[in-house]
Amino acid sequence: MGTPAPNPAFSPTAYSPGYAPTGPPPPYQESFQLDANQDFNTHAPAGNFGFAGGFPSPMTSPAQISSMLQQPVVQDMAIQYGNQLAAQGKEAVQRELHKFVPVSRLRYYFAVDTRYVIRKLMLIVFPYTHKEWMVKYDQDTPVQPRYDINAPDLYIPSMGYVTYVLLAGFMLGLQHRFSPEQIGIQASSALAYIIFEMLLYLVTLYVTNTSTSLKTLDLLAYSGYKYTVMISSLLAGLLAGRTGYYCGLLYSSCALSYFLVKTLRLQLLSGSQGPEQPSYGFPNPPYAANPYSDAWDKPTPGGTKRRVYFLLFVAITQPLLCWWLTYHLVASPPGEGAGPAR
Amino acid sequence: MLTLWNLFEATLLCLNAVCVLHEERFMQKIGWGANTQTQGFEDQSSMKFQILNLVRSIRTVTKIPLIILNILTIMFKLLLG
Repeated sequence: MGTPAPNPAFSPTAYSPGYAPTGPPPPYQESFQLDANQDFNTHAPAGNFGFAGGFPSPMTSPAQISSMLQQPVVQDMAIQYGNQLAAQGKEAVQRELHKFVPVSRLRYYFAVDTRYVIRKLMLIVFPYTHKEWMVKYDQDTPVQPRYDINAPDLYIPSMGYVTYVLLAGFMLGLQHRFSPEQIGIQASSALAYIIFEMLLYLVTLYVTNTSTSLKTLDLLAYSGYKYTVMISSLLAGLLAGRTGYYCGLLYSSCALSYFLVKTLRLQLLSGSQGPEQPSYGFPNPPYAANPYSDAWDKPTPGGTKRRVYFLLFVAITQPLLCWWLTYHLVASPPGEGAGPAR
Repeated sequence: MLTLWNLFEATLLCLNAVCVLHEERFMQKIGWGANTQTQGFEDQSSMKFQILNLVRSIRTVTKIPLIILNILTIMFKLLLG
C-alpha cells in the first residue's frame, strides 16, 4: 500500500510508534484495509498514552494533534471509499456471473412448493396413470413448476444429490467402510458424473445437429431425476439386501424411463415451435402429422428420427448410470465379505 | 473411479489429442480438411462437417490455455505424484 511502516492495522499499539519520530504519515494510506472495526477514534488515546509514556495529556506534540485531527475525517472517507470499492466489486462479480450462469433462468427452476414436490416424486415413482404430459405455456414462456406438474425443476435434483451423498455415507458406514473423506469422494464423484453426462448429451446434440427446444438447464433437470431412482433403490437394498436392491432398481428404472420418454417426447418432438404444436393432437406421435416428409429427405437437419434416437439414448443411459453409481454401495449378503473398495 | 480430478485429467488428455491433429500435415491428407472449396451449402448439416467444425473450433479456442494447463498439471504431478 505504499507505506514503509509495519502494518498498523492489525495491532493498535503498533500504530503509535509510526507517528512520533517521523511526523504524521498520512494515515489514510494505512487504513485501506477495509476494516471498519479499526476505530482509531477510541484506540488513539490509549495508544498515545502508551507511547507518551506517562505524559498527562496527549495533546502536547503538534504531530499528535494533526494526526488526531485527521483521524475522524479520514476514517469516514476511507470507509466510504471502501464501501464504494466493495459495491464496484460486487457489481463486477455479478456481471461476470450473469455471463456464465443465467440467474434469472435459475430462479424459474427453483420456484416450487411442497405440493409440487410431493406430486412430482409420486409421478416419478408411478407415472403409468398420468394422462396429461404437456407443459403448460404462458405466452411463449413455460409456466413455473409451482403451477404445472409437468414442468422441469432443479429443486428435486439438487436435494436428491445431497440426499444421495448422505445416504452413500450411511451405507458405507453400515459396512464399516466409512471415513469422513468418503463423503467428499462420493460427492465429487457424483458431481463428475453429472458433468460428464451433461457434456455427453450436449456434444451428442451438437454433433448430430439435432435441434430441440430443450435448454441445457432442462436437460440438467431431467437427468437429475435419476437421483430419486438411486435413493429408492438404495433404500430397497437396505431393507432387503441385494435382491431388494435389484428389484427396486428394475422397477424404478422402468418407471423413470417411462416418465422420461413421455415427458421428453413432447418437448423434443414438438418441433421448434413448441407452443403451437399441441393442437395437432399429442397422444399419438405428433410427428405423424406429415409422415411423408421424413421419408423423402433422410438426413434432415434437426430431423425427427435423430430426436427419437436421442430420446432413446437418454432413456437407456439413465438407468445404466443409476446402476453404475449405486452398485458399489449395496452390502453383499453376509458370507461373501465386503465388496471391493472403490 | 471417476472423481473431479480424474475428469479433469481425462478432459485435458482429450483436448490435447484434439489439438494435436495438424491441419495441413494430416487432416488435408485424409480429406478432413476444413477449408476445401468443394463444400457446398448442402453439406453443412452432415455429421462429418459438424465434427470437423467442432475439432477446428476446439483447436482455435484451447490452444493457448492448454499450454498453461499442461504446464501446471505436469508440475503438479511431478511434485505431488
